[in-house]
Order: sequence, then C-alpha cells, then structure tokens
Amino acid sequence: MKKKLAGIINISISNVLSIKRTLEHIGFDVIIIDQYQSIDKFDLLVLPGVGTFKEAMKKLAENNLLKLIEISIQKNKKILGLCLGMQILFEESEEFGLTKGIGFFKGKVQNFNKYKVEKKTFIGWNNIKFNSKNKLFKQHALIVNKFTNNLFYFIHSYFVKTENEDIEVANSSNGEVVYSSIIKKDNVLAFQFHPEKSGENGIILLKNELINL
Amino acid sequence: MIKRILSRIDIKNNFLVKGMHLEGLRVLGYPEFFAQKYFNENIDEIIFQDVVASLYKRNNLTSLIKKISEKVFIPITCGGGIRNNQDISELLINGTDRVLINTAAVNDIEFVKNAVKTYGSSTIAVGIETQKIDNKYKVFTESGRTKNDIDTFDWIKKLQDIGVGEIILSSINKEGTGKGFDLNLNEEASKICEISLLAHGGAGKHEDVYELFNKTSVNGVVIAAAFHFNYYKELLNKKKINVHGNTDYLYSGNFNNNFALSIKDLKKYLKSKNISIR
Repeated sequence: MKKKLAGIINISISNVLSIKRTLEHIGFDVIIIDQYQSIDKFDLLVLPGVGTFKEAMKKLAENNLLKLIEISIQKNKKILGLCLGMQILFEESEEFGLTKGIGFFKGKVQNFNKYKVEKKTFIGWNNIKFNSKNKLFKQHALIVNKFTNNLFYFIHSYFVKTENEDIEVANSSNGEVVYSSIIKKDNVLAFQFHPEKSGENGIILLKNELINL
Repeated sequence: MIKRILSRIDIKNNFLVKGMHLEGLRVLGYPEFFAQKYFNENIDEIIFQDVVASLYKRNNLTSLIKKISEKVFIPITCGGGIRNNQDISELLINGTDRVLINTAAVNDIEFVKNAVKTYGSSTIAVGIETQKIDNKYKVFTESGRTKNDIDTFDWIKKLQDIGVGEIILSSINKEGTGKGFDLNLNEEASKICEISLLAHGGAGKHEDVYELFNKTSVNGVVIAAAFHFNYYKELLNKKKINVHGNTDYLYSGNFNNNFALSIKDLKKYLKSKNISIR
C-alpha cells in the first residue's frame, strides 16, 4: 500500500527532524517544505512548534508559507499543529507584543506570567484530561486504555483556552490556569504538547488521531 | 509538578565518555546504544553534551543526533560549542528539541537574549558549572576548565531576567563521584530560581535522588555516571570499541564503578516514596 505523504513546514526555528522521525515511525512518507509549493500531493500538512509567535509569523510570511497554510485550510486539507504550530492557528498572541495569527480558531494566546502558575515556562510532563462535553470524548475513552498514564511532554510559556467545547478535545492545567491541550475542528487537529516527544504515549495518540483525521 | 529524570551523555569524538569532576575522560561506549537503552528504560529526556566542542570551537553532534532521533521519541537537548543562532538552527533541524548553552552565555549574554527572542524561552536552557571558591559558589566554563568571577546565584537571577527557560546546575565537586548531591547549593538555587531548575552531579544511590527531591524544590535531576555504569557492560557486546589507547579498563569491568543506578529501579523507588514522576 502506498504510504501517505506528510509535509512539514520548515522555518528553521523548529525541531522538524524530530517530527519527521515520529511520522515516519507511524508510517508516513515525509517531505520538509521550505518554500511555497502546490499542496495537492500532500495528505497531511504539519505546522511544527518551537520558536516565538512573532518570529514564526514573520518567517511564514517571508517565505510565502502563510499562503500555503491558508490555501490548505481553504481546500480542507488535513492539518496538524504542534505547540506553537497550534497557537499560530488562533487569532492573536501577546508573545513579545501583540501579533496577529492565522485566525482559524477564535481566541488569544496568553502568557502564563499573569497568573498563579507552577512554572511560568512549563517544561516537562503533564496530564491531559479529555473533555467530556466534546463529541469525541467516547472515541477517546477507548485509547486512554492503551496509555500507560495520561502524561505528555509540554514545553511552553504561552497557552490558549478555547471557549468552544465542540472543538476542545482535551485540556490541561498549570497552577490556576486551565488551557486547551488538544483541539480539533474540521480537518485541523492541534496539540499544545509535543506528541512526537512523549514516548510511547505520544506515538499511540498520534497514530490513533491521524488515522481518524 | 512531576519531577523529571534526565540522563546526560557526554560526547567526545563520537564516543560516550565519562570522567570525574569534568576531568579525566574515559570512553565507555557508543552513545547511540546508551540513548536507545535509556529510552527503552523510560528515561524522561536525554541531554547530549559535546565536552570538547567549546574548547575547539566546533559543534559535532549533528550526525549523531540525526541517527538517534530515528528511534528515540523523547526530548533531546544538545549542548557544547553553541555560539550563534546558526548553531541552534542547525541542531533543531537535525533532531534536537532544545539547546544547552554554557560558555557562550558567559562570553556573550546578548547572544542568549536574542536566541530567546527567536526560539522562545522554552528552547533555550543554560548550563552552569559551579564550584565553591573561598566559600562562594563561582561560575565555571569550558567544561570546568575556566573560572569566571561570577557569583552563581547572581548568574541564575540574571539568566531568568533575560528569559532563559531552564537552568541545569552542575556541581563540579560532586560530578561523577556518586557521593550524593550538593544539597546546600541546590536548595539555595531553587529558592531564588523561578524558572525550571535541574540538578546535576552526585547521584550514586536511590536515596541521594530522593533526598534531593525531598529537601530542595528542583524540578528534575540529571544523571550521567550512575546510569552509564549500570548499563555499559551489556552495551559493550554490541560493537567493538575502536579507539586509540588502552581500553582494558572497560573489559576488566572493575574501573571506578562502585556505584550504579538502573533507571527503572530508581523510578520504582521514587514512586514508592510518593515522589511524583512519570
């Protein structure tokens, strides 16, 4: 059977090889996308994390990759956003001054530092809690059994909380802040954490989600 | 928060090396075998440090990390000889998730400031090697070879002010000894450190790590020698060590390793003591 093809957007500030390796491990062919090209041959477009919001938006615009993402959304392509790659899909972020995002999801990315949190820059393993009000809850209740625990690897100083229960698949917390950790709307799936770095749990989750996406 | 258990793998000329007090390096095996083993044993993260990179002004980890990232699906941090954004991008594109800066942070703080703006706080960790001189903790660089007239605690404050995401604090006196952590150092540091702090240097037995988590509020522990000594013998058989000089110490199996820790057993022990870990 022909493998599905994933394209990872590269703007030289993200951990692209780590993501490539994980996608290959779960059965994708992977191409790194450095500049604008036709999206047609790809089954999945990946927006990686790592980097700052402002820098990411600037670089995406410079390389015409922003257009590529927008066209992919219009064409209802399958899109996976990871960490910062999830955040840039929102309307705006207050990271290093207010910056406009892609605006596919409604909401603003905020800094942890205004709240009572355990760590302003959260680095490490954290629980995800599947949202029982979300329509995908039952489906996810099944994969939870496959996990050794509910821990995934997070590394972020900014978070976003969607008010829309229909799209918030899971949430997590840092001190008093509860934020969205998995979001899914139409063909766009996004994680605040790094499934590609979350050991066996991450691989199980990613495999399961990408089959269903 | 969940405490993290990390391993640090020191690299010289593509071999895993280990010494005492950051000196007297000895080859223990191939880093890729250790990394794979540690991943299978459920380590939380791995740090790779090119221990001579800074001295020779080069960074050599790229090809190694490329290979390791094929099968190791946990966070990988790389350090050693990182001096500019190009070095950081090069590592991130080739399988690294975060970078660890040490010498360059002391020599060029502006570089670290800018790196935080480009890559985000969470990507930039700074390593501090420290040792007590005249009863004061001072900052060392170049894998402990160079002493700087900087107070360690002032340096921690400075680094968190400029937005560094994490500090990895190595005690030169304890490093590689297996004689327990410098609890005073880690307690003092974790009191003033609002960002993530990892303690390195001294792990020899389960109780050392428990004591560290019980008496200080560090976020995680970095263990090198104790893990390496536990696993190197079984990994020796995978491929012949081809290196200049005497390697009898490896095969005789009795060099300096009067302490050793298994990752799984350590985690089991900490869980039994109600330390929250993965």
